[in-house]
Amino acid sequence: MIQLFHVSKFFDRCTALRDVTIRVDQGECVLLTGPSGAGKTTLLKVIFGSEVPDEGQILVQNRNVARLRHGDVPYLRRTIGFVLQNFQLLPRKTVYENVVLPLIIQGVKNRDAQKRVKETLGAVGMEHKRAIRAGVLSVGEQQRVCIARAIVTRPLIVLADEPTGNLDGALTMEIVELLKSIHAQGTTMLVATHNQVVVGCMTCRVLHLQAGRVVSDTRGEGE
Amino acid sequence: MRLWYVMRESLTDLRGHRGTVLIGVVTTAFTISCFGGFVLLYLNLKNLAAFLQNDVQVIVYVDPDASVRTTSGVNQRLEREPAATAITFVSKERALREFHEQFPDESTLLDGMGSNPLPASFVVNVSPRFQDAESLGAFADRVRQFPGVTHVRYSQDWIDTLALVVSHFQLGAVVIGTILAVATVTIITNTVRLSFYTRREEIEILRLIGATGAFIAVPYVIEGAILGTLGGLLSLGMLKGTFELLRFEIGASGWFRGMDHVLTFFSAPVSMLVVLTGMLLGCGSSLVSVFGLIKTRD
Repeated sequence: MIQLFHVSKFFDRCTALRDVTIRVDQGECVLLTGPSGAGKTTLLKVIFGSEVPDEGQILVQNRNVARLRHGDVPYLRRTIGFVLQNFQLLPRKTVYENVVLPLIIQGVKNRDAQKRVKETLGAVGMEHKRAIRAGVLSVGEQQRVCIARAIVTRPLIVLADEPTGNLDGALTMEIVELLKSIHAQGTTMLVATHNQVVVGCMTCRVLHLQAGRVVSDTRGEGE
Repeated sequence: MRLWYVMRESLTDLRGHRGTVLIGVVTTAFTISCFGGFVLLYLNLKNLAAFLQNDVQVIVYVDPDASVRTTSGVNQRLEREPAATAITFVSKERALREFHEQFPDESTLLDGMGSNPLPASFVVNVSPRFQDAESLGAFADRVRQFPGVTHVRYSQDWIDTLALVVSHFQLGAVVIGTILAVATVTIITNTVRLSFYTRREEIEILRLIGATGAFIAVPYVIEGAILGTLGGLLSLGMLKGTFELLRFEIGASGWFRGMDHVLTFFSAPVSMLVVLTGMLLGCGSSLVSVFGLIKTRD
């Protein structure tokens, strides 16, 4: 599903990724751990096509992301759900309008879109707040909406960058449970986190990064 | 659904930035009006020059003491001239009556002179083939030699000058039009760019969830088109208002008596072209602005 071959990425004189080679199979859950600046976010970005690697190749669903034309990047992104630490919701739009946006972009018919948003908001426990503006939601609710937006198109891959970074303990557990339920439906998942609670609760494969290199690759108990 | 979304986004954005939009519309209207006003002036001068050129007249004054037979001889010789298309005799009495009508304040000057001092004359309309300076001069020289003719007057010099001014206006219209078009593009580009920057975060989000450049750009292009169209309509209104005011003033002053019909406003197709120009400038500016900003990969 996702393969990286000797991928390196440099920012000026800093090394973000160095000679990373990994393979993530369909339906697999992978946690990317490591200290700040280890390269976790950059790794997600090169898979997502928002950073171009300086060396190496990346295959996502048999598409070479490193050689993707500028105009093809949006189509790659439509197959991947991305959950961000800072949510990046449109604060003036309602929960429904935020979640339906990827479906509008993909040209899904109005009736189908409404149905899918209803189901997805139900799955993340936000159906009752569909008409509320995103800007007035709590941080936990905003993260749920962000996850709903990422999965509403039913992507085969979900990337999450520090999805619990802004959340306290109880909210972190809520989001972890949500991510687990998404993975349980067969979605391939890569989650960048430095939160040990997340690592402890999710029985996933853990790739530990340090200074842009993968220094350990351990399988979870349930793998 | 996508079309509905982009239309709604454009209108929401226009409503959200009313101040900026208003400034954009007004400045667009002023720049289009400046160019439109220049074109309008050019078209009217061209009309006037064409009207005057088609109506070149030579006035042949007859000796006040000339007999009826001599005057009749002048008429017959003029009729034989190929340059003359129409000949109108203006008698001494008619000349005096017209003087009183055209210059009522000065008519007392003539009253004090006792007898009518104005000469009889022939007004000769000249064929277009003989309206160039050389042919006209040769014709006037010949007529001066006719017995009983004291003076020949024609106004080709200033008609030629007007035609020269009109031809210079054509060049000026291109230069000024280009400058004003660039100014309009700059203004609309900046208005759209400002709107784009205020929605930068939203655009980043749209990119993240797979929006293409076209999907992001279309609401801004529509916004630019609406802005340009409103500017074009406003400029058309301003031009029409100014034109009617000037026509009224000119009519009241009597400068162009008998030539009121020469003053014309843009025809319906040209008026639509003015609005269309505004719309296209708006679209073009938005495209330049937005596509420059969304070309980056992230």
